[in-house]
Amino acid sequence: MELEEAPKQHYSEEEKQNIFNNEFMPHIHSMYNFGYRLTLDADDSKDLVQDTYLKAYRFIESFQKGTNAKAWLFRILKNSFINDYRKKSKEPSKVDYQEVETYYNSEEVDRQITPDLRVEALKDMIGDEISNALNALDVDFRTVIILCDLEGFKYDEMAKILDIPIGTVRSRLHRARNLLKEKLSEYAKQMGYKTT
Amino acid sequence: MSNSDQSHMKQDCSNKRDCLEMLQLILDGEATHEQKEHFLKHHLDECLPCYKNYHLELKIKELLKTKCCGGQAPSDLVEQIKNKIGAA
Repeated sequence: MELEEAPKQHYSEEEKQNIFNNEFMPHIHSMYNFGYRLTLDADDSKDLVQDTYLKAYRFIESFQKGTNAKAWLFRILKNSFINDYRKKSKEPSKVDYQEVETYYNSEEVDRQITPDLRVEALKDMIGDEISNALNALDVDFRTVIILCDLEGFKYDEMAKILDIPIGTVRSRLHRARNLLKEKLSEYAKQMGYKTT
Repeated sequence: MSNSDQSHMKQDCSNKRDCLEMLQLILDGEATHEQKEHFLKHHLDECLPCYKNYHLELKIKELLKTKCCGGQAPSDLVEQIKNKIGAA
């Protein structure tokens, strides 16, 4: 899926248009949702998605017709976000993230984080609670939940999109879900549910 | 997996962390057939914490899907992209 590494295809102008319209454009809504969940800003998301599609067109001969276009596009968007957007916004999460992941990988934390959340409390979360809880997560944890639970990517696809080993996908997803449950427990408490 | 009678179930799971990882594998469609058989047909019937966890994880997954997906990309974005590509 690497833009530069893939064996180059040769497409006519007509083929390029066909691939773009029939294999790339159908994912525009998922791509916009991904961009929005990463940047948390409608305008930034539009820019990010537009950049991604223009790049995809420019490098279209690195894409093999009929393969997983959605994963290919998501990977470009994720890389554009890291390279262009994060730099611009000076978001400190990249640095913090290492610390955060080390922290959450320690066994000790696992014992502490046992959010006691009930299904009944979730049934009353009919507003933006879940969306806000997701948005409040550190971007790297947010990303694995978006890819897995919102978009339904398999672990091996996520590994390729994120350039990390499958084992890391699994552990990061596990931590991300614990953190999400923590946030949801806070909401549940505010809603008057006892969580003990 | 009926939830009518929970009194015979174990009230505590000695393997909670591994079980939680296993049930996430199952819900993510990444578990093998054997893993699924064992966990869903045997373990969930006898272990209350895991039974509860399973339904909690399932509900969160459902909520994420229904509450955080399905937004449409703005139509002007779609037009802009088409115009730029058409002109390329």
